[in-house]
Amino acid sequence: MNHAAFSPARVWTLAAATVTQLVRMKILVFLLLFCAVVVAAGFAFPVLNPEHQLKLLKDVSFGALQIFSLVIGIVATALLLPRDLEDRTLYTILSKPVPRHEYLLGKLLGVLALIGAGLLVMDAAFSLVLWLREKLLLAQILAGLKAQTPEAVAQVQELVGKQGLTWNLHLGVLAVFLKAAVVTALALMVSCFASSTLFTVVVTFCIVIIGHGQGLLREYFLQGKMEPFVEKGLSALLAVLTPDLGVFDVIDNVVNGQVVGPGSAGYMTGIALTYITGYMVVSHLLFVEKEL
Amino acid sequence: MSDPQPITPAVSVENLTKVFRGALGRKPFVAVRDVSLTVREGEVYGLIGPNGCGKSTTMKTVLGLLAPTRGRTFVFGRSSTEVASRQAVGFLPENPYFYKHLNGLETLLFYGRLCGLGGAELRDRAREMLALTGLEDAADRRVAGYSKGMLQRLGLAQALLHRPRLVVLDEPTAGVDPAGSRKIRDLILGFRGQGITVLVTSHLLEQMQEVCDRVGIMAHGRMMREGRVDELIAVENQTELVLEDATPELLAEIRALVERQGGARLVRTGQPRTTLEKLFLEATEETN
Repeated sequence: MNHAAFSPARVWTLAAATVTQLVRMKILVFLLLFCAVVVAAGFAFPVLNPEHQLKLLKDVSFGALQIFSLVIGIVATALLLPRDLEDRTLYTILSKPVPRHEYLLGKLLGVLALIGAGLLVMDAAFSLVLWLREKLLLAQILAGLKAQTPEAVAQVQELVGKQGLTWNLHLGVLAVFLKAAVVTALALMVSCFASSTLFTVVVTFCIVIIGHGQGLLREYFLQGKMEPFVEKGLSALLAVLTPDLGVFDVIDNVVNGQVVGPGSAGYMTGIALTYITGYMVVSHLLFVEKEL
Repeated sequence: MSDPQPITPAVSVENLTKVFRGALGRKPFVAVRDVSLTVREGEVYGLIGPNGCGKSTTMKTVLGLLAPTRGRTFVFGRSSTEVASRQAVGFLPENPYFYKHLNGLETLLFYGRLCGLGGAELRDRAREMLALTGLEDAADRRVAGYSKGMLQRLGLAQALLHRPRLVVLDEPTAGVDPAGSRKIRDLILGFRGQGITVLVTSHLLEQMQEVCDRVGIMAHGRMMREGRVDELIAVENQTELVLEDATPELLAEIRALVERQGGARLVRTGQPRTTLEKLFLEATEETN
C-alpha cells in the first residue's frame, strides 16, 4: 500500500477529534453566556436614544465575540499539544503513518473550526437580537412621531437602519475570525517550543498585546526619527516578530455604521493567510525536531 | 545459479547512538551507545534490561519518534525517518493514555482512520479488536473511566487494528493482573503463529523467556548479550531428564547406572516446581 505524503482525510480525522475534545471540555458554555449577554444588552439602557442603544448592543456583542475567539484561540491551543505530550497520546498518534505537519494542521483546523462555528452561532444570535431591537425601536419612534410624513418616516428609517442589521456587521465578524485565526496559529507555534501550557498562554497574550499596539509603537519610536531604510527594516522586523493585529481592527468602524468594503475584507484575509502560513512553517520546523 | 535474494529483516538497528542534549548548563545524556540488532520477520524479539538502560529510547528511534544521533534504524527495509515505515507497525507504549473524551469504540475508530481505514470495514475491525481484548462491554464507556489494565488492553487493540506486520510492545504487561498478563502472553504467542513480528520489552523475565525466540540484554545504553533464548540460558555441560510416575526403584537404578558409567555426575534430583503465576491462575480459575 502506498503512503500518501499528505492526506486530507487524516487531517480531517485529527481536526474532528480536536473539535470533539474541546466541545466535551464544555468550552461552548461560553456561547450560552454570550447569548445571555447579548439579550441583556439588547434590552438594557432603554433611556438612551435609539441610535446609542443599537450602538451599545453592537459594542457589547463585538467585545464578547473578540473575547470568545481570542481566549479560545490561545487557551485551547495552548492546552492541546502539551496535553498530548504529557498523556503520551502523541506517541500512539505519531507511531501511526501520520506526518508531523498533518498533526499540526489537524490541531489548527480543529480549533479554527470550533471558533468559526462558535462565531457563526453568536453572529446569528447577535443579528437576531439586533434586528428585533431595530424593529422595536423603529416602531416606538414612529408611534411617537406627531406627523408621519413619508419624508419623516424615511429619515427615521435611514437613521435607525444605519445602526441596525447590515451585511457590514458580518464583515466585522469575519475580521474577528481572521484575527483569532492568526492568534491561534501563533499560539500553536509558541506551544511547539514552550515547556508548559502557562508559558504558551502568557507569551501569546504578551505578543497579542504588542500586536494590537504595533501601529502606535511604530509611530512613536520609528516615524521620522531615523533613516527611511532603517525605519523600513525595523518596521518589517516588528511585523515579523509580532503580528500587526491592528489590521483587523475594523470593529469601531462597524459599530459606528461605517461601511467596510470587500477590498478591506480581501486585504485582511490576505494578511491573515500570510501570517498563518508563516507561523505554520515555523511550527513545523520546530515540531519536526522535537524529541518525544 | 543466482544467489537467493537476502531476506529483509523486520527491524534493523545499525550502530545506534542517541544523545539527549542537556538543558542549560547540564551535561548531555547518552541514552544508547552504538547498539546494533536485527529482528527477523516472524520472530518474537525481547529487549530486556534494567530501568534507564535505553530500551525505550531504542524502540522510539525504531518508530521514528526520536532521531538517532548516530547510526540508522530500518523497518522492513525503510528508514525509520520515513513516515511510510510506520505503515506496517502497531505500537503499544508503556502505560498508554488515550483521549479521555472518547469512548473505547471511538478511540479505535480514530486510530483506524489515521491508518487509512474507514467505513464498515473499520467498524467491524474495531468491534473485532474490542472482542479480542475483552473490552466489548466497555466499548461505549468513556476512556476516562478505564482502569490501568483496560487502558493497556485498549492500547493493544489500537496497535493491532490495521493488521500490522510488526508489533512493538513497550512493557505490555505493566499494571496488568496475572490473568490479563497471561492473556497478553497468549496473544504474543498467537502473533508468532500468524507470522507477525514482535519487538517487546518487559521486566517479567520469566514471561519473556516463554515467548521470545531471541533476546537482547541491554545495560547502561549498551547491548551486553544477544541471541536465541534457548542458547543463552542453556547450561552447556548439563542435561535435564524429567520423568513422570517414576518409582523409587527406577530412580535408584538410574543413580547406579550413572555411577557405573563414570565421567558423568548426577547433580540433583527432586520434584520440578510449578510457577507462582500458574498456581495463581489455577487457584483463581477454580474459584470462577
